[in-house]
Amino acid sequence: MTTSTNRRPRTIYSNPSRAARPEPEASGRERFWWIFMRLSGLALVFLALGHMFIMHVLVVLTGDQIDFAFVQSRWGTPFWRIYDLLLLVLAFMHGVNGTRIVISDYVAHRTARSLIIGVLLFISAAWLILGIAIIALFDPSAS
Amino acid sequence: MERSHELINLFGYRVSWAQLAWFGHRASGLGVLLFLFLHIVETSTVLFGPEVYDFTQTFYANLPAKVGEVLLMAALVYHSLNGLRVIVMDFWPSTTIYYRPLTYGVIAATTIAMVPLGLIILTPYLPWG
Repeated sequence: MTTSTNRRPRTIYSNPSRAARPEPEASGRERFWWIFMRLSGLALVFLALGHMFIMHVLVVLTGDQIDFAFVQSRWGTPFWRIYDLLLLVLAFMHGVNGTRIVISDYVAHRTARSLIIGVLLFISAAWLILGIAIIALFDPSAS
Repeated sequence: MERSHELINLFGYRVSWAQLAWFGHRASGLGVLLFLFLHIVETSTVLFGPEVYDFTQTFYANLPAKVGEVLLMAALVYHSLNGLRVIVMDFWPSTTIYYRPLTYGVIAATTIAMVPLGLIILTPYLPWG
């Protein structure tokens, strides 16, 4: 066996979980994101699947429909606003970090990699701010 | 070294279930993120009042969009279950020897869960629904 000089091994055989990255040995930023992906993933199992189930299964079964009035009734309560805000922020950070890791795996050129990830982070930050603004600015009493 | 019975033939490529699980995790994750970008733009129309938002929502009320909705849900269910498998194996490495039955389990559970969920979403939009 040859020892890999890659910072992030691409072969799944080197990873006991056989689906993702092995835990970074050095503590630091990469280890933080490794742990973040697992903790946020665990929270998102409930938040994202719950959201999908309510919006696309329960709404159908109860004969309701997603329209402005529906959003008014949901975002009229702090609970669902906080739920959606948490879902938005966690899903976004989880997804963008995952994309960063995928990009790092396929773009070997250092400058190109930094550039692509930089663009990704810039666009994502703008989008996330828009998302937070929607939840924060929506006025349930408007008609 | 992978043993031959772990490999399946996919369009002429010999790939293992582990590779498929890994690829599926990435593909589903990227797909869900792509929809999240679209979802934020589409939801932003709620700030422009009921007429604009209710009009935007009509884009989802057709069969192709509902098929997309089912695919999105399948991607999310698979990514969730497979992610749980990864978490279990990362924090309890001794479970790694069960990676194959667990991977089969994830694929089977996703497929089984999507049958009723898919029917609930699609039925009102099918010609006979």
